Amino acid sequence: MPIVLSDASFSYPDGSLAVDSVTLRINDGERIAIVGQNGAGKTTTVKMMNGLLKPSSGSVTVDGLATTDQTTATTARTVGYVFQNPDDQIFGSDVQGELEYMPKYLKWDAEVTEQRVGRAAKMTGIRRFLKVNPNDLPFAIKKFVAIGAILVGDCKYVILDEPTAGLDDRGLKLLNRMMDQLEAEGVAVIAITHDMRFVVDSFTRVVAMANRKIIADGSCEEVFGNDDVLSRAKLKRPEVPQLARELGLSTTALHLNAVVALIR
Amino acid sequence: MSTPIIDELDQEFIDSFRSPASAGNRIRDLNPISFAVIMVACAVAAVTLPGPWGPAAICLIYVAVSIAAGVSKAFLPAYGKLFAVVGLILFVLRAAFLPGEHVLLRLGPIAISAEGIAQGLDFALVVMALCGAMTLFFTVTPMKNLMLALELRGVTPRATYVILASFQAITDLGKNTKVVMDAQKSRGIETEGGMVGRVTAFVPILAPVFLAAMSQTEERALALDARAFNSRSRHSYLVSLQPVGAAEIALVCAVAACAVLSIVGAAFIWN
Amino acid sequence: MELVSLRNVGFTYAYGDKPALNDVSLTIEPGLLYGVVGLNASGKSTLCSVVRGIIPHFHHGELTGEVKIKGRDLLEWDPAELSKSIGYVFQNPFTQISGVKDTVFEEIALGLENLGVDREEMIDRVTTVVRELGLEALIRKNPNELSGGQRQKVAFASIIAMDADFIIIDEPTSQLDPDASEAVFGIIRKLKERGKSIILVEHKIDLMAEYADRIIVMKAGRVVMEGPAREVLVSDELSQAGVPYPEVTELAFALANAGKPLRSVPITRAEARELVSARIKEAPHAHSAL
Repeated sequence: MPIVLSDASFSYPDGSLAVDSVTLRINDGERIAIVGQNGAGKTTTVKMMNGLLKPSSGSVTVDGLATTDQTTATTARTVGYVFQNPDDQIFGSDVQGELEYMPKYLKWDAEVTEQRVGRAAKMTGIRRFLKVNPNDLPFAIKKFVAIGAILVGDCKYVILDEPTAGLDDRGLKLLNRMMDQLEAEGVAVIAITHDMRFVVDSFTRVVAMANRKIIADGSCEEVFGNDDVLSRAKLKRPEVPQLARELGLSTTALHLNAVVALIR
Repeated sequence: MSTPIIDELDQEFIDSFRSPASAGNRIRDLNPISFAVIMVACAVAAVTLPGPWGPAAICLIYVAVSIAAGVSKAFLPAYGKLFAVVGLILFVLRAAFLPGEHVLLRLGPIAISAEGIAQGLDFALVVMALCGAMTLFFTVTPMKNLMLALELRGVTPRATYVILASFQAITDLGKNTKVVMDAQKSRGIETEGGMVGRVTAFVPILAPVFLAAMSQTEERALALDARAFNSRSRHSYLVSLQPVGAAEIALVCAVAACAVLSIVGAAFIWN
Repeated sequence: MELVSLRNVGFTYAYGDKPALNDVSLTIEPGLLYGVVGLNASGKSTLCSVVRGIIPHFHHGELTGEVKIKGRDLLEWDPAELSKSIGYVFQNPFTQISGVKDTVFEEIALGLENLGVDREEMIDRVTTVVRELGLEALIRKNPNELSGGQRQKVAFASIIAMDADFIIIDEPTSQLDPDASEAVFGIIRKLKERGKSIILVEHKIDLMAEYADRIIVMKAGRVVMEGPAREVLVSDELSQAGVPYPEVTELAFALANAGKPLRSVPITRAEARELVSARIKEAPHAHSAL
């Protein structure tokens, strides 16, 4: 069962809109990138998906249940959300404690806990740091700790907010491996990102937002092929596809290999 | 419907820095130090003038000043609450337990006397006049104006920074608790149940949140240093305060003189 | 005269068990934009801290070798003087707001107040950076209530307004969208054109290729390569340090691997466009127009 946003809007207490009638369906095991300028409404949209924010009009349902009918904590057990700033989310005095926080709260038995924590630590590449205080870790690794803490749970959907900020190449490869494993397990991944190369390399579906609305929802080829969408959402094509377009080689080729094949 | 994106420069706002900061009200535009002297004088008078009419009059003066300064909406409810809680408790305690000859009412071991009531009233009113001076001062004077005035009088920017930053830290802590609750909800911890649910979700992470805030102080100190905060050259100020005119000096002197007179009175006349 | 020179510099943090910098020798010439690249925790920020004197004046630990800034030994510098003459934009946008100003305009002016700049000049300089960075809509806002991206822009603006001749900028665009990132890089270019010397730490390698004069590659606390961007960005050392090539450079390598090398290896899109279109003209029949 999917996450469905129908005409969902969210307004601040002062009445101004943060998200303006958004309609979006995210299927099981899907991978979606949400792109757009700062302030376009991306974070508000995903916070509505995990129930942190409840729509002020329209509806958001997760697996058929309206987020307004259940507590955020209940929704969040199905839809995990990794905050943009890991400092907002990490409280443990060591990484292991951070990962074991939820299993303890939910009183899982030791075996399950060990298995889930081990899996999350492996997927996020933080096994070396289990005994370390998260505050002593660099930002990028702290972010993986935050992701790991969410992966310990049994979420069907995982939302990543700016997972590539400050990430080096090694981290990026790790992130991609992690997303592949989630996909294999049937977990949907929704990522907010400014990194367009990450989008074309790792996602099949892109949702572009501008001015609090969704202005495009489709394959990478569709969205990055549409100049009007790119200029409204103030997005940039990655370098190679842009080059291919400028040279008149192709309007849809997004990947290096495709462009290499076009140049004789 | 979308609101237009503002990309024009708010020239009026920028120009406002070119002239002394004004709240558009004579009392609120008084120099914070002048106003502090006036409030201290009021407090001194409240202590020295004969009760209960002296301190009661001072309390009424605060009310009048707050109305004239246009801050009565903020001041009166706060001051009212102080009266209702602190003032009443002080009065009741004194009235109930001070022994006196003219007993008006006896409730078991408690004997309420006329002297007790009179002294309770005096005492409660004096304390309220002192509280009022503080409350009114901070309602009328923006903290940053006070700090600016102090810096201009030679207080080091470090000291004023610490005070201002502490106030900001209190606000931040409030905001952080909201973020913390959101983070807890996001990982599936119930915070929406009754008081018990909230507390159990909140308490275990209080200490870490506090520690995390502390660990950021080093980064903050460095960032501040990058803004030349430790520079020993003379600082300048974007915001300027209203110049202190002859009338303001006269007013401050007059109020201070009243306080002195009330001290003299207390020493030689009515005590 | 060289701006900064490091000779065999090593540094181990007081609480660290292994050196964060190891035998670094490096010369920074004035008027150039140096890009610093490398994996996370390869020593980029530590290098910046040494060059700005935060090490050893603020972060304690064991500093070895010789550091000279403007010809003077680092240890002889007055830390307050260093913080005035070298600007520093830090990585974390959440800790760079002073917390004592209640509008963005005043926040940006704080550094100028501390430098003792006249009010009129202060207003002019703040207004100028506000315009350059497109912060017009923010100037009345409370800086403590901004989003991460907005804070990052305000922190950047606050340092730029102080107009130091030498500025160190640590990952200024990590929270920014592509449009805002380009705006920040555009300003960095303008600063360089005004004769400023800049050290820039940044992961966005395509932007580095476009803007940096020279690149410093770091790996495990060492500088493994330093040289003109054109040479470094196509070198083996770059990928050995775990840093990706610019996209168009990768394209050129892929073409070479496919047996169709370009005449030279581009690092920017503009260069790639020229090289590839030259190729297309050479073999006009091979391409069908779209």
